Amino acid sequence: MALLEVKDLVVGYDAFPVLHGINFSVEEGELCVLLGLNGAGKTTTVSTIAGMLKPQSGSMTFDGKELKKGSPSARVAGGISLCPEGRRVFPRLSVRQNLRLGSWVRRKESKTVRRQLELVYDYFPRLAEREGQLAGTLSGGEQQMLAVARAMMSKPRLLLIDEASLGLSPTLARTVWEVTKRIKADGTTVLMVEQNAGALPYADRALIMEKGTLVYTGVGDEIRDVNLREAYLGV
Amino acid sequence: MEELAIALTFGVLQGSVYSLVALGIVLVYRVSGVFNFAQAEFGTTGLFGAYIAVVLWEWPFYLGLLFGLVVAIVMGLLTERLVIHPLRNQSKVTLLVGTAGVALTVIGIQFWQFNDPLIRQLPKISDAVYVTPFGAPIMAQQLITLAVLIVAAAALAVFLKSPAGLAMQAAQQEPVACELVGVSVRRVSMMTWGIAALLGGLAGVLSGAYTIFTAGFLTFGVGKALLPGFIAAVLAGMKSMPGAVAGGLVVGIVEQFGGLKMFGDVPGASALLLLVFLVVVLLLRPQGLLVRKATA
Repeated sequence: MALLEVKDLVVGYDAFPVLHGINFSVEEGELCVLLGLNGAGKTTTVSTIAGMLKPQSGSMTFDGKELKKGSPSARVAGGISLCPEGRRVFPRLSVRQNLRLGSWVRRKESKTVRRQLELVYDYFPRLAEREGQLAGTLSGGEQQMLAVARAMMSKPRLLLIDEASLGLSPTLARTVWEVTKRIKADGTTVLMVEQNAGALPYADRALIMEKGTLVYTGVGDEIRDVNLREAYLGV
Repeated sequence: MEELAIALTFGVLQGSVYSLVALGIVLVYRVSGVFNFAQAEFGTTGLFGAYIAVVLWEWPFYLGLLFGLVVAIVMGLLTERLVIHPLRNQSKVTLLVGTAGVALTVIGIQFWQFNDPLIRQLPKISDAVYVTPFGAPIMAQQLITLAVLIVAAAALAVFLKSPAGLAMQAAQQEPVACELVGVSVRRVSMMTWGIAALLGGLAGVLSGAYTIFTAGFLTFGVGKALLPGFIAAVLAGMKSMPGAVAGGLVVGIVEQFGGLKMFGDVPGASALLLLVFLVVVLLLRPQGLLVRKATA
């Protein structure tokens, strides 16, 4: 049974449809990359899974249970955490305070919070060095690390990462993807939205979107095929 | 010298009321970005609540005071639910006018319901009066207000470091990210207005017993603390809690200095001195008292 299953999902902003009935699934323990150009509907997809947008029709199941109407807060408590596009760190709180807030739904489980904090500092040692620094004073790359780390603090079963590489140098983008691979190896399922085809080598499953529809789904070695990248992404 | 010491003492005591009001104003502004004109009326409403319970219903005294604080909190929560939340996507000016509307409505209700007699009095926690070495008579009730301010400010400082306090600060900085970590911004907003109303309620219930009171007591009545509270909040850069406490005390002191003999011939010297002081502080420290200049 897939951890996440999306069926005939239609989402729009008022009367303007963005997703035209997409279907896909993500297996437990996978790192799935959702690729597409600007306006393809990638952010809308993960925002809907995270409870920020309400679908017009279709269904989503997580761990066999249907995700019905629910706030983002309820989704986090249920094990789905979104690292949003644009980082959205709390600029006037320190790195450590940002991370503490990331564990809000587990704030009464002090041992879990401590373990998660050690884990994310292990993923991103730079954050440990700067834990007392205000998040707004970090570099773009460090803020991205903080955003991923904060999303991990709730110990999610499914981590959604929206455009982690946006605005980062190729080296920093690779660093973030490498950590994402470690997060997956440590047991968290990851659905990563990307415009950058450089994320493909890290994926177990790839989904490619165009204009609100899913045009390709593939697993294993076939997704590293050069023709595929040329055909769908023009790279 | 004696005159100066007396002014300083009275200034600190009166300033503690302003500080309580300023703390509520700054808290709401930091979280909701709203300039809350109803902050002082939370206090007057709490005062009327305590008066009704203690004097009219003859409840046990402390239970009555507690009832007054609950009334203030309920008013704060209703303001958030009925005015702030529905107007949350409107401009800051609309929200400001909304809170002014709340204050005027409540004052109108107070005049309507408590018109006969117009002037009322709530018993003090203690009727004791102390005389300082330089001859200033101080009510025990004023010292209690100062002590309550110190406890409330310390409790608020501890609270703001707690997860719930961090959530409060985060909700203002990044509401979307706040929801994404599982914090309900709506609940945070309710909590903020509830705490602000409690601070206002403390100011009302405690200072209302200093003397007689009428409708609009803390807004424009005998205990007027709204304008001094706003000035204190501005001195705090609208964001510093210690600044709000210091601002309130300083405003109280400057106001009292306006009553010194040297200003004896100047009508409205207190208000004039206060506004001159505000302008000077804003020119020298536009970021406010006890506030570091923004670095990011």
